[in-house]
Amino acid sequence: MSHPKRAEVFTRDTERTTWHDETLWFVRQKRDKAVYAVPEFQELRELASQIKTHTLSRLADYLEQFEAQAKANGVHVHWAANAEEHNAIVLDIIRQEKASSIVKSKSMLTEECHLNPYLLRHGVEIVDTDLGERIVQLRQESPSHLVLPAIHLKKEDVGATFFKHLGTAEGEVDPQVLTEAARQHLRARFLTAEVAISGVNFAIAETGSIVVCTNEGNADLAVNLARVHIASMGIEKLIPRLSDLSVFTRLLARSATGQPATTYTSHFSRPAAGKELHIILVDNGRTQQLGRPDFRASLKCIRCGACMNTCPVYRRSGGHSYDFTVPGPIGAILSPNIDMRQHASLPFASTLCGSCTDVCPVKIDIHTQLYKWRQVIAAADEIPASKKWSMRLLSRVLARPGMYELGGKFARVGLRFVPHALTHAPGYNPWAIARELPEPPPQSFREWFKQTNPKP
Amino acid sequence: MTATARERILAATRANHFEENPLPTVPQFTGDASVERFTEVLQSIGGQIVRIPVGQPLAEVVQQLFPAAGPVASPLLPATITIDEQTPTAVLDTVDVAVLGGIFGVAENGCIWLPEANMLHRALPLITQHLVLVLSQQNIVATMHQAYALVTDVGDYGMFIAGPSKTADIEQSLVIGAHGARSLTVLLTA
Amino acid sequence: MKVALFIPCYVDQFYPQVGIATYQLLHKLGIQAEFPQKQTCCGQPMANSGCEQDAVPVYHHFVDTFQGYDYVVAPAGSCVYHVRKHFNIIEQTPAVQHVREATYDLIDFITTILGVTEIPGVFPHKVGLHLSCHGQRGLHQANESEMTPVRDGHLRRLLKSLDGIELTELDRNDECCGFGGTFCVSEAAISARMGQDRVQDHLRNGTRVLTGGDMSCLMHLEGIVRRQKLPMRVMHAAEILNGTIL
Repeated sequence: MSHPKRAEVFTRDTERTTWHDETLWFVRQKRDKAVYAVPEFQELRELASQIKTHTLSRLADYLEQFEAQAKANGVHVHWAANAEEHNAIVLDIIRQEKASSIVKSKSMLTEECHLNPYLLRHGVEIVDTDLGERIVQLRQESPSHLVLPAIHLKKEDVGATFFKHLGTAEGEVDPQVLTEAARQHLRARFLTAEVAISGVNFAIAETGSIVVCTNEGNADLAVNLARVHIASMGIEKLIPRLSDLSVFTRLLARSATGQPATTYTSHFSRPAAGKELHIILVDNGRTQQLGRPDFRASLKCIRCGACMNTCPVYRRSGGHSYDFTVPGPIGAILSPNIDMRQHASLPFASTLCGSCTDVCPVKIDIHTQLYKWRQVIAAADEIPASKKWSMRLLSRVLARPGMYELGGKFARVGLRFVPHALTHAPGYNPWAIARELPEPPPQSFREWFKQTNPKP
Repeated sequence: MTATARERILAATRANHFEENPLPTVPQFTGDASVERFTEVLQSIGGQIVRIPVGQPLAEVVQQLFPAAGPVASPLLPATITIDEQTPTAVLDTVDVAVLGGIFGVAENGCIWLPEANMLHRALPLITQHLVLVLSQQNIVATMHQAYALVTDVGDYGMFIAGPSKTADIEQSLVIGAHGARSLTVLLTA
Repeated sequence: MKVALFIPCYVDQFYPQVGIATYQLLHKLGIQAEFPQKQTCCGQPMANSGCEQDAVPVYHHFVDTFQGYDYVVAPAGSCVYHVRKHFNIIEQTPAVQHVREATYDLIDFITTILGVTEIPGVFPHKVGLHLSCHGQRGLHQANESEMTPVRDGHLRRLLKSLDGIELTELDRNDECCGFGGTFCVSEAAISARMGQDRVQDHLRNGTRVLTGGDMSCLMHLEGIVRRQKLPMRVMHAAEILNGTIL
């Protein structure tokens, strides 16, 4: 199913669409307030962009530096070329530990690798500990937003899920009460977990450290209690210097939720005595994206979700309409790299309004990349045939003034005489589902001009 | 198998290196480093701040703040529970209040730097029901640039803490006390 | 100063009054614009659909048509943005470079090239300004809410200079209207919903005359206003300015 089809289904519930739009717009407004309060915010964006671009331009060197430092720190470093390799490494570590209780904090990479279903197939169950992720996990859904995984759900939905799985009272919808229930339920898991998996927000080449940012504290609680900590990271998470974090920590939370900082910004360099830290460096299509000059800037992404909150399409179509791990504008430029045919409709799920580019804290030219993916997708013949041929025809007409003048006249005159019911039939004219066509005037501008300015 | 993955990834990455863009020098953007600013921001993110008069013992302050406290863990005052790196999880889970020493605070975002050396156990700042951080009001910097200029070595483990654990995952309603400490109190000393 | 009018295809065919207002407004400001009859389109519909290569002959035709002029002026920021930004795929001959630089949106041309910042006239209505994304974020005609809370821009200032006008303050100053070229039919449900929300914002805040500098957004919004039979007129800014100026 394509994006427009799924989006159409989402918008059928008018009230929920309104709610979804307004809730995310509220997050965008919080972001604005935080951004306006930092006079150097635009300079920080530029610095962040330059640091990331620099890192990508010589990524292999930084990866080697990071690996050497991390190993010197007593960290186990693994490399995974793709999702399968990543998942196999995780399973192997779990089996070596003979672990049966495993918890995981927020990691979009493990979502991308479909780690949970993989482990389930091998008899290993993981409990997601981020509240939003736990909610969608219990509902057997996927996150619909990078930072707000359950933003597609209302408290009534969560209440029903917790009633079913956590034994809260039927009809309980108070977020305070529901969160407390999740706290109690998950605390038991934290206490017994043998292996804790986390994502990585930043990896510092010069020190071999990783940085994890959360508000809930679930990542730190989990990895500091379990004997084994597995941190999965895409290879694009690297930054060269510890001091570069000053730029990124100032941008991340403000862009994501409008907070001045995430509650916990944790730096892991060495495992505690008697414990293990494993870092898995994952490619899974990233080196391929690095090899596409028009699109490699997408690898600068720090997963703040600001482009989703600002996107007028995302806010009205919901994260699941993208049918990709990373939804929204950034997902629409990452997904064709993974599977162009499957995600062919995503770069077209945009008006190219450019707001995503303007909120992006690392200045990814998102809307320009959307435009460029459209060219690549059409050239690969992955757009609907009707569109392709009509565009070819249009080109012929528009390069020939005589044909154009005649064609325009036909359209205009045609519209004046064909009955409204026919020109506005929704089956033939998607424009007319909500809009009237322009009222065709008797005379075009060029006809008027000729008349008023006769050639001397 | 992983060795080959390493070689494949590094080779593919290196093959796609592009003209080097210089690594920029990050300016030391500064700003308001006042106690007032720090206090205002910390309160806005759900933390509370208590100024300790000179000479008042910490234990007394904590006693006043948490009159009915369960086990109190701290290297800074007479604790009612002993915590170290070896403390089993079940014991950690009983801690009600942890009183730890923060190194410095950041006025722009309410962050407080807490290195592993000051934690007793890595999980303690998270697993305790209530967290109290003691901070000298002399040690407040304006921005994260000054913060990372001070943290030249993050050590084995270290964290910035900004307020109590929180979530807004249900309908964007802010709830304090997700998985970590339910409250954060900063005791500001002279 | 040799100035050519570029009247985009849909304005030519469906909104001739906007072309006429543009022409007359420029005339009143001392510019005798020409209208090269062989002009057609900037090629954006094809390019935004991914068929940039199909648009190449249209680009060449555009350059061919307008290369002899000092300025090319259009009442449509989106088309101007397309010429400036996306004509980069054809060989950058001096003619191509010139046309890309010389193509201006009407409001930009009036304010930055002609230096006109006030229009003497009266327009005693509650006017809502719709900012086109390509004009605002692409051509930087107005401040962006992503960057600053200050709502300012060329067109806003020009309109403000009219006597009796009351500019309505929107809840979302610069949200996209959802037109998006072929997006309006390929993503019809979302496009419609975005347009409806935009119109509601204006309605809620008292707009009686909805205006803007880009006729494509306005065509979409007008279609919704008329479908819902709302008490609102949709006019291109050129029509307002031309109608009031003495």
